[in-house]
Amino acid sequence: MTTTIQPSEKPKGASGAADLQAPHQPVTAPGAKTSSSTGQLAHRHWRVGLLPLLALLLVVAMIVAGAFGEVPISPAHTAAILLNQTHLFHFPRTWPVTDEVILLQLRLPRVAGAALVGMALAVAGVLFQGLLRNPLADPLLLGTSSGAALGASIAFVVPALFTADWFGFGLIPVLAFIGALLAVALVYWLASRGGHTPVVTLLLAGVAVSAVLTAIQTLIITLNDRLGLQISALYLWLAGGVDVQTWVQVGVIGTLTLLGVFGALLLAPTLDAFALGEEMASHLGLRVERSKLAIVAVAALLVAAAVSISGLVGFVGLVAPHVCRITLGPRHRFLIPAAGLTGAIFVVVADLLARTLASPSEIPLGVVTALVGGPFFLWLLRYAGRRYTW
Amino acid sequence: MVVNAETMQPGRAAKHTDAVVFDAVSFAYAHSPVIYDVSLRVVAGEMVGLLGPNGAGKSTALKLATGVLKPQQGEIRLQGDSLRSLSRAEVARRVAVVPQDFSVQFAYTVRQIVEMGRLPHMGVWGVSRVDDRLAVQAALEATNVSPLADRVFNDLSGGERQRVLIALALAQDAPIILLDEPTAHLDIRHQIEVLDLLRRLNHEHGLTVIAALHDLNLAARYFPRLILFNREIVTDGPPASVLDEAVLSRVYQTPVQVGILRGEEHLSVLPPGYSMAERGEREREPSLAPGTYVHVVAGGGSGELLMRSLADAHIAFSAGPLNAGDSDATLAERLADLCIVEPPYAPVSEQGIASAREHMLNARAVIVCPIPLGHGNIALLQAALAARQAGVPVLLLEPTRNLAASDGQADASAGDDESAFAAIRARDFSGQGMELYRQLLAAGARWVATNAEAVSALSGSQAFL
Repeated sequence: MTTTIQPSEKPKGASGAADLQAPHQPVTAPGAKTSSSTGQLAHRHWRVGLLPLLALLLVVAMIVAGAFGEVPISPAHTAAILLNQTHLFHFPRTWPVTDEVILLQLRLPRVAGAALVGMALAVAGVLFQGLLRNPLADPLLLGTSSGAALGASIAFVVPALFTADWFGFGLIPVLAFIGALLAVALVYWLASRGGHTPVVTLLLAGVAVSAVLTAIQTLIITLNDRLGLQISALYLWLAGGVDVQTWVQVGVIGTLTLLGVFGALLLAPTLDAFALGEEMASHLGLRVERSKLAIVAVAALLVAAAVSISGLVGFVGLVAPHVCRITLGPRHRFLIPAAGLTGAIFVVVADLLARTLASPSEIPLGVVTALVGGPFFLWLLRYAGRRYTW
Repeated sequence: MVVNAETMQPGRAAKHTDAVVFDAVSFAYAHSPVIYDVSLRVVAGEMVGLLGPNGAGKSTALKLATGVLKPQQGEIRLQGDSLRSLSRAEVARRVAVVPQDFSVQFAYTVRQIVEMGRLPHMGVWGVSRVDDRLAVQAALEATNVSPLADRVFNDLSGGERQRVLIALALAQDAPIILLDEPTAHLDIRHQIEVLDLLRRLNHEHGLTVIAALHDLNLAARYFPRLILFNREIVTDGPPASVLDEAVLSRVYQTPVQVGILRGEEHLSVLPPGYSMAERGEREREPSLAPGTYVHVVAGGGSGELLMRSLADAHIAFSAGPLNAGDSDATLAERLADLCIVEPPYAPVSEQGIASAREHMLNARAVIVCPIPLGHGNIALLQAALAARQAGVPVLLLEPTRNLAASDGQADASAGDDESAFAAIRARDFSGQGMELYRQLLAAGARWVATNAEAVSALSGSQAFL
């Protein structure tokens, strides 16, 4: 039996026609206030237009980031070199060949890596905040950061003969990747009891596992005297910094990230329902525990991919989702791509600053993201986000 | 804006006349049982109010009906199909739930919240199909929340939020809607608004409505069928039969007054006035004054017919101790003037036995039904023996003697006793039951073979009493 809800006041044809003409326009009954709905119409279109705008901004940011560095290349040349690569354009070369090599072989992989790191962390942040229903949730929360750090530390102390090369990745990124995934799996397993995984338990297990893994990592570093000079390298890795040398690496991380973002988009309606509470989500037909596992798995994949090439970059995954929620509203179908693009732009710019501010030496990326992102976020909370309610 | 009118064929609707069926359902949280042996049938298009005190298991029953909780025993069917055979999404397409108020994470607008009702119908990419949008719009309008569509849900008042939650359930387009205290936290205007809305949805759209309610008066007014629930179904029927002063007073454990207010056609339940409360207290006590009532020892259905006979004969009686959930306990709650209730499935407690002993000593007679003689009930037999020795008449109900009697051996004979003893031996799990029966008989307890015999022994002025 199907129940039909049939508002009586409205002629059938009229509403149907209105619907065909303007898909997003709410069908309002005659006599109902229409001012708010037209307002919403404009609002919605503005939101939809924002995604291409953010994508464009990301491209611009990447070109600018490609232009700046120890050897400056003008943004115009950068754009020309890139457009020539498409083989659709043939700008005459008015720049030295070395510029082309520096841009294409050194800088761009790193810029692309930065964009992927930002995108992965921001989307993972959206997933964790939605799942845990907690504004403090951060992608590095459920043991990922300490797992990755432990993995990296192990890589630092392993004898040099174990140096490896998988798709251009050394031992450090591979062990960081594995460490992050294993830590999340451990946390999830510990928090589950009889097929249920309460999110509060998940959070607490994450904190506890992080503490234990960090202690083990500290122990390894302290007990291992062969670390010596490498300790500062490890410290720099922990402070965060995009470390991408080849396009192959970009390809691998890019594939993982895009898979994760695609998975996150599939989970968008689920995340919306989770905002109503798990019980209501279940009433709406969701298999709550399966959904939770899916969300954590996708988020863990994204974080592990990001952490393996960037170390621990804080703040992106916390701030980008909040910024987008303040400006775009909470619906995950828009929030996920918007946060992904915002995170990408943010890290590309932050990485540019990290490379150039104290050139020739480099500031750790994590320092820049916190120094730039923190005040910006506070400003947004204070002035733009007055009505930002959880 | 017809969503599905064409697909609503009468034949299809008629196929599932059962909306929700509970078949001997029991449920316990960890080790504390909440619902015992509930059987219930709600037909499509009914509007049912679920009443009962706090902690009576109303919310649990609703959660069982949606499959959020799984019963330990029994089966629940939605439109004829077992919940076990339905996926979550299939359940959500059949049953929509309006929870007690909840807060929403993030600043979702009303429309966005209502759109989530389409979740069980939509594909992976979210709300997009035309009929999704039409259903959302229809739900907004049916609940009169269209003007609020772009407001942030968390900013709304209680009454508005409740209407939005109902809109969310309507967008789900399920033929059954369950509500958990939809009028809690609302002022009287919004309570009436919400219940009017539910009645309209029930009348105009044929929605099956099942709501847990606290307000007995509003329930009586809006719901043609009420179920008084207290871990089991106490009474089930139209308001006039469910809103019974004695039953409500017992179930809610407070005296109430039921009547028809002047100028009204509906029953009203009121707290008693001060004088009546006092009178109520006085009246309840004297009805169990020493020597005015009969105490029934029953259990497991053994006392059912007897208690009905006693009530029909207007003989005041107390019963117990009985385990909640036992069918005798359910009946005693309705019929007995006092019922000593023990937690379900628990052994009889010291207090229960002490209370029974006291009631037996003060009773004008004790009737022992053919109960299974486990250790708990042995203590009750000992109490009955003590009462007998103190001079209280004791009747031993033993239907097997009736069979013997019909063989022409009307008078108690040795052979007759043997058939009774055989029956007692068969249900004696403690090994002491037989001996106690012998002692009771020796002390002057009397066999009765039928309920009628017991009732006539109690109501007449026989020499026995």
